[in-house]
Amino acid sequence: MDMELDLDESSLAIGRIERALSRIETALTERANRPAAKVPPSDSGDQSALKAEVAAVIGELDRLISEAKNG
Amino acid sequence: MADVKLGIAGRTYDVHCADGQEPQLLNLAAVVDEKVRAMPGGTEVRQLLFAALMLADEAQEAKGKAAKAEPQSDSLRAAVALAESREAQARDELKAARAELDALKKAPPSNPAPPNPASAKPSHDRALLQIADRIETLATRIEQLP
Repeated sequence: MDMELDLDESSLAIGRIERALSRIETALTERANRPAAKVPPSDSGDQSALKAEVAAVIGELDRLISEAKNG
Repeated sequence: MADVKLGIAGRTYDVHCADGQEPQLLNLAAVVDEKVRAMPGGTEVRQLLFAALMLADEAQEAKGKAAKAEPQSDSLRAAVALAESREAQARDELKAARAELDALKKAPPSNPAPPNPASAKPSHDRALLQIADRIETLATRIEQLP
């Protein structure tokens, strides 16, 4: 049978994004379920950079979604 | 055949005509009689001669007017034909436009195409791939948080 798998680059990218978000959700859930005493304080500089990166990625996603909506 | 008595220039003439034509014949005789009476004096023959000449003149003039009117009536006929043709064309165009409008009404609403989809899509693909890279990196960093 001759089947063509029509997955363009955007579909592949969206699949990767979904899987990465799922990994983040799992990691954050595990972290939230840990006893508070056992969570060591992490470097505040690292956390700020992480938050900044999350904000930047969300901003970029918003921009893309808006562009896609407005054609 | 019908027998008719015509009174022209004071004299009565017995003539025959096809059945049903009597009123028309009487009408024509009245026209000739009127012309004869319009020129008093002279002999009866002379009066009839002038009446005949005047009627011939009127007939010629009427023919001339009809000949002059022909080109105008030709132009009018051509104009009418053109108008009819344009009306038919306009009706066809209206019909096509209505069909198109109906088709548009029935069609499901669709978003307008992007101005240049060929160039916009690769750019979006690239941006999505970059975001996928960044989110994957974020996921790794979050997983590695102590």
